[in-house]
Amino acid sequence: MAKNMEQLYAQRLKRYTTAMRNGKPDMVPVRPFVAEFTASYAGYTCQEVTHDYEKAFIAARKCAADFDWDAVVSNMVYVWTGLTEAIGTKYYAAPGINIPPDTGFQYREPPEDQAFMKPEEYDEFIKDPTGFLFNIWLPRVSRYVTATGKPSSYHNNLSFLKGGMAMLQYFNSFGRQNELLRTECGTVSAISGIFKAPLDIIADKLRGYLGLVNDLLERPKKVMAACEALMPHLEWMALSAASKEVPIGYWMHRGCVPFVNMEHFNNFYWPTVKPIIESIWSKGYQVLFYAEGNWDAHLKSFAELPDASIVYHCDRGDIFRIHKEIGHKFCISGGVPNTLLSMGTPQEVRDCCRKIIEGVAQDGGYIMDASAIIQNDAKVENMKAMTDATREYGIY
Amino acid sequence: MVNRSESAKKPGVCFPWEEKLKEFSEIKGDKELVKKIWEDVDSLAYVYIWHCLLSF
Repeated sequence: MAKNMEQLYAQRLKRYTTAMRNGKPDMVPVRPFVAEFTASYAGYTCQEVTHDYEKAFIAARKCAADFDWDAVVSNMVYVWTGLTEAIGTKYYAAPGINIPPDTGFQYREPPEDQAFMKPEEYDEFIKDPTGFLFNIWLPRVSRYVTATGKPSSYHNNLSFLKGGMAMLQYFNSFGRQNELLRTECGTVSAISGIFKAPLDIIADKLRGYLGLVNDLLERPKKVMAACEALMPHLEWMALSAASKEVPIGYWMHRGCVPFVNMEHFNNFYWPTVKPIIESIWSKGYQVLFYAEGNWDAHLKSFAELPDASIVYHCDRGDIFRIHKEIGHKFCISGGVPNTLLSMGTPQEVRDCCRKIIEGVAQDGGYIMDASAIIQNDAKVENMKAMTDATREYGIY
Repeated sequence: MVNRSESAKKPGVCFPWEEKLKEFSEIKGDKELVKKIWEDVDSLAYVYIWHCLLSF
């Protein structure tokens, strides 16, 4: 039993990191990725925690202190509208502005004919991705930034000044938040750094999903070259804020079957992700595969990675199949359906947690969490049931 | 702002030191110090645009 907060933190950090290395800690760690749930629990609206990140921090710490959680994301409501409104970002629907105050922020992909990169612009992007982002992409995604060659404006100048300073202020505030999580709650900040796959970036922010899948058929060499051009930048960014204690978050979107076919996964997605993960691991960093949706068709590919190089998070996949196929190599997390947390009973949640622990966690290498990011539809009593059941059935 | 006709830049770089260096007729003191500080601040701009793409 920990005597003080620092001991509690050390105990939880050891529990969390042991499980992530696929080892057997003293008990199954609880690491829920709670986003807008924190707002409803702390008495805030989604608008309040999205617009005022100090409230988001307070809400995250309140949950961490009140529930017996080993690790949480410092602020899973990661989009701060102070920053996105300074830049004039077009693609977000912000709670309280474009959508009701109690709806979580939304990403709005533009129609295919208004994609942020045109099909004939691949070569320009491949030649200089960073220049393309500043000169072509940013003026298209921002209401304020003017295109190169066009007259500058007050809005344009303010966008860079306010955007830069706001981003610096926001990122710097995470140091204090992580320290308060440690000293007030004894809770570990669960991840550090960000990674996304080249193919997902092209779909999410450049060509749109429909544009990408057309390009995979009509100009596959350009798509591959663009993925390869992105690779060194995405690795550099992943490592720029990484920690050797906790993994880099890898947010997996639409690179799996059936969003793309198996041939596209094997020839485009995986060859432009695997070398990055291997390189990151060789430098001493782990990556958390946050496999949103169902990536079960690709487990054999993931098994090619070095033992313990990743933590694999299960959303809609079959967690028992995942454990059977890759559990001997990697720690697994998640698997408790979000629908159960929002519409089930506490007993149903307890039964689900017990089944997962008995089927997946017997040899260690498992972290309790919901399937997907937990929003404000989850019931407090069900979150408590998930935590309590893990503490009851998850002792080694 | 960097002209888009310039050649590809390495990760962490928006405006390469080699280009910046052309602005100076000479550097009378510690050239490496000037280079390091230029590159440190330049990487902040890099982090800004890539986080716009990746995180926001």
